[in-house]
Amino acid sequence: MATLQQTEHNKTVDAKNFSRRAALGGLLFPAVGLFLGGCTRGLTTAAAPKVAIPEGRGAFALRADGTRAFRNHELVDQNGVKVRFQDDLVEGKVFGATFQYAKCEGICSDMTQQMKKSYQLMKPIMGKPVNFYMFSLAGDSPAEMKAFMQAHGIDNLPSWRFFTGSSEAIADIRWAFGFGDPNEETDKNLAGHTGMVRFCNHKLDKWAACPAQGSPESTARLVVRLFPSNERPQLAGIASKIATPSYPMKNWSPAKPLTANLASQL
Amino acid sequence: MSNRIFGSAFSRRRFLKGSALTSGAFFINTKFNHLRLADVHSSPYTTPWSQPLAFAEYATPLPSFAQLDPLPQLSDFQRYDEFPAAYQYNIKVCEALHCAHPQLAACPHSTYNGSVPGPTFMMRYGRPVITRFENCMPAVMPSYGSCDVITHIHNGNHAPESDGGPWDYFHPGHYHDHHWPNVCSTDPTTGLPDPLEAKGTLFYHDHCHDFTGANVYRGLAGFFLLFDNLDSGNENDPNPEAFRLPSGVPDGKRVKNRYDIPLVLCDRNYDQNGMMVYDSLEMDGLLGDKNLVNGRVQPYFEVERRKYRFRILNSGISRFHDVWFSNGMTFQYIANDGNMIPTPMELQNVKLGVAERADIVIDFSQLPASTTEIYLVNRAEQVNGRGPTGNRLPMSQAPKLLKLIIRPATGVVDNSRVPTTLRQLPEMNLPVARTRNWHFDRTNGMWTVNGQLFDENRCDALCKHGTAEIWKFSTAGGWAHPVHNHVEEPRTLTLNGKSVEGTTLQGRKDAHPLYPGDEISVYIKFRDWIGRYPMHCHNLTHEDHAMMFRWDMEA
Repeated sequence: MATLQQTEHNKTVDAKNFSRRAALGGLLFPAVGLFLGGCTRGLTTAAAPKVAIPEGRGAFALRADGTRAFRNHELVDQNGVKVRFQDDLVEGKVFGATFQYAKCEGICSDMTQQMKKSYQLMKPIMGKPVNFYMFSLAGDSPAEMKAFMQAHGIDNLPSWRFFTGSSEAIADIRWAFGFGDPNEETDKNLAGHTGMVRFCNHKLDKWAACPAQGSPESTARLVVRLFPSNERPQLAGIASKIATPSYPMKNWSPAKPLTANLASQL
Repeated sequence: MSNRIFGSAFSRRRFLKGSALTSGAFFINTKFNHLRLADVHSSPYTTPWSQPLAFAEYATPLPSFAQLDPLPQLSDFQRYDEFPAAYQYNIKVCEALHCAHPQLAACPHSTYNGSVPGPTFMMRYGRPVITRFENCMPAVMPSYGSCDVITHIHNGNHAPESDGGPWDYFHPGHYHDHHWPNVCSTDPTTGLPDPLEAKGTLFYHDHCHDFTGANVYRGLAGFFLLFDNLDSGNENDPNPEAFRLPSGVPDGKRVKNRYDIPLVLCDRNYDQNGMMVYDSLEMDGLLGDKNLVNGRVQPYFEVERRKYRFRILNSGISRFHDVWFSNGMTFQYIANDGNMIPTPMELQNVKLGVAERADIVIDFSQLPASTTEIYLVNRAEQVNGRGPTGNRLPMSQAPKLLKLIIRPATGVVDNSRVPTTLRQLPEMNLPVARTRNWHFDRTNGMWTVNGQLFDENRCDALCKHGTAEIWKFSTAGGWAHPVHNHVEEPRTLTLNGKSVEGTTLQGRKDAHPLYPGDEISVYIKFRDWIGRYPMHCHNLTHEDHAMMFRWDMEA
């Protein structure tokens, strides 16, 4: 059985392996990234407040405002664009994150296809403000990630990106997102890698997870519930087919949250 | 605790210094060398036994002259004409501050009517009710939990539209009406309600899909007690058939001369500011380092030297219990998951997986005069959310949950008793149509049942009225799964091929604790309602990550 230990080799991104196309993309995408970053329903991509992250795999800090700060790993996407994990992917963002790799012969292909269906259902909010991230478990090069995305027809979806980085960085992110296993052997079993997708609305410190291979409608319903109930995106085709009716209350006035810390930012 | 932080390597002082430097809080799990909120045992010190045990007030029906407004849509309910509501209740699901201990902060909780635990429903068979749950939660709800809610009456014999299934959640500004007919499941041979199917200790809790654990953790749980002419709630009942168990459920601060005591056990974590914390990123299950009973950390309760009925509920969200009295005293075990068993059992302990209940009768008059205090303790060793280790903690090391201070009898005659026979089991009088296997497992970090992921739009078992089936629940690996079925309460047949007679698994149960490698076989009937129901793991972290399936009943 393939393990992370066996399959991981060089995790540093080798610029020589970048294709010309990827390199060009790398020149272009920072601007695109800036544009997308500004389209997050008013959620500005502020630089992460300085905060010390404690030692330990998967460690994060809970900041005074109630949001989380993770290690600001340097990562590279399928186009060769360098990003910082906390600053560019987490801070103020709404996202779904999976852990996959390009040459996976297990669940990765099906995960991607199901997430693609979710993406289609959520198209009106993809990039505005929802993003999908994939993190490479096997040190894929940008070219390999790009090829994987092309093979699955998701390379032209701007709010869906594939990231690679050092094995330590990816493991740290994976553990931080709750997908580590205390048994080292199990943890390193690449074939058994998680098929869950981690969702987050960072500004509200709202986190959830569901199987990436689950029903796309169910996944989309989970995502919209990361938003305040009076700001939820209205998406067609995601309503439960079996839910029983609820009715509007008379004379209802919205309650103010008692958790003032995060709410006061809105 | 093996996962304890702030041990020698990481002192409290160093932590506080770190917090001050970063203007935030963070936690380290030293064992696994990674940070998780759920594994930490970092709550501030709280002085035990410094506050009395608290009780929720009764849920009160609307006055007879009042009506729900808007009127309920009666056409939404199955068989409403057979069971028209005698009472109406209106419960507001709202945020409120609740303080679990004077040394902790008053924290925002999700509550029913502002109460933690929620108001106690005192229900009676033959008295149907309609209850409206109004979602008055804030639209903006930072941090953990959801402002969407749906209330499930755990083990209620309710139609699916009133069951509170996970897919029925609704958002603030809306209400959902439930019709609770308070009727026993039907005896298929007579077509009439079968009194042997009567249930007693139920509870209600939030069941919002993807967020149940967080919502329950935040406070959305309460007792739902059902009485009938046998378990009548009156120890002086002149009815010669009545059980006359210790009676009188406390109603808020009305505790005097009340001897039927609901106890909801749970565990929580608090940060250094005394605020309750929950790790939404945890996947295995959550453990807290503070033990709460009825919403308070380590309270005390004064008992008289007489008989008491304790209704003990493990509300989770991931911790298992092995409940003992610290002096090793025995008690009469009378009901599992709220179902009276045929004959009381004398036991020293009872194990409770998440959502399991135990009704026990303790005779404190039998204690030596020198005994002035004892404790309710949990001897189940558990180091993570996956399930207990199987080891039993020494009594001296077992976490104390509740201090019982023994007071003299008040002089009021104790007419309560524990009958030698209680409620017989319903007949298994429907032919078995088929056997189904339900294997609870984990693949690539995803929960599966029979290898399938949950999809609410897929019915995994279509069960016909007037039939019965054998269902076999199994699991493998290093996880424990307390599996819970809605509406139809199975009767346990075997555990790993062996009869469960004479054990606490006997008879009817709505929660079956599966430990690694277990197979539990049950007999289950189908009747009364039409529609879809879930079955799921009641480790709420597992449930929230879709360890469930849907089955349907059809006429």
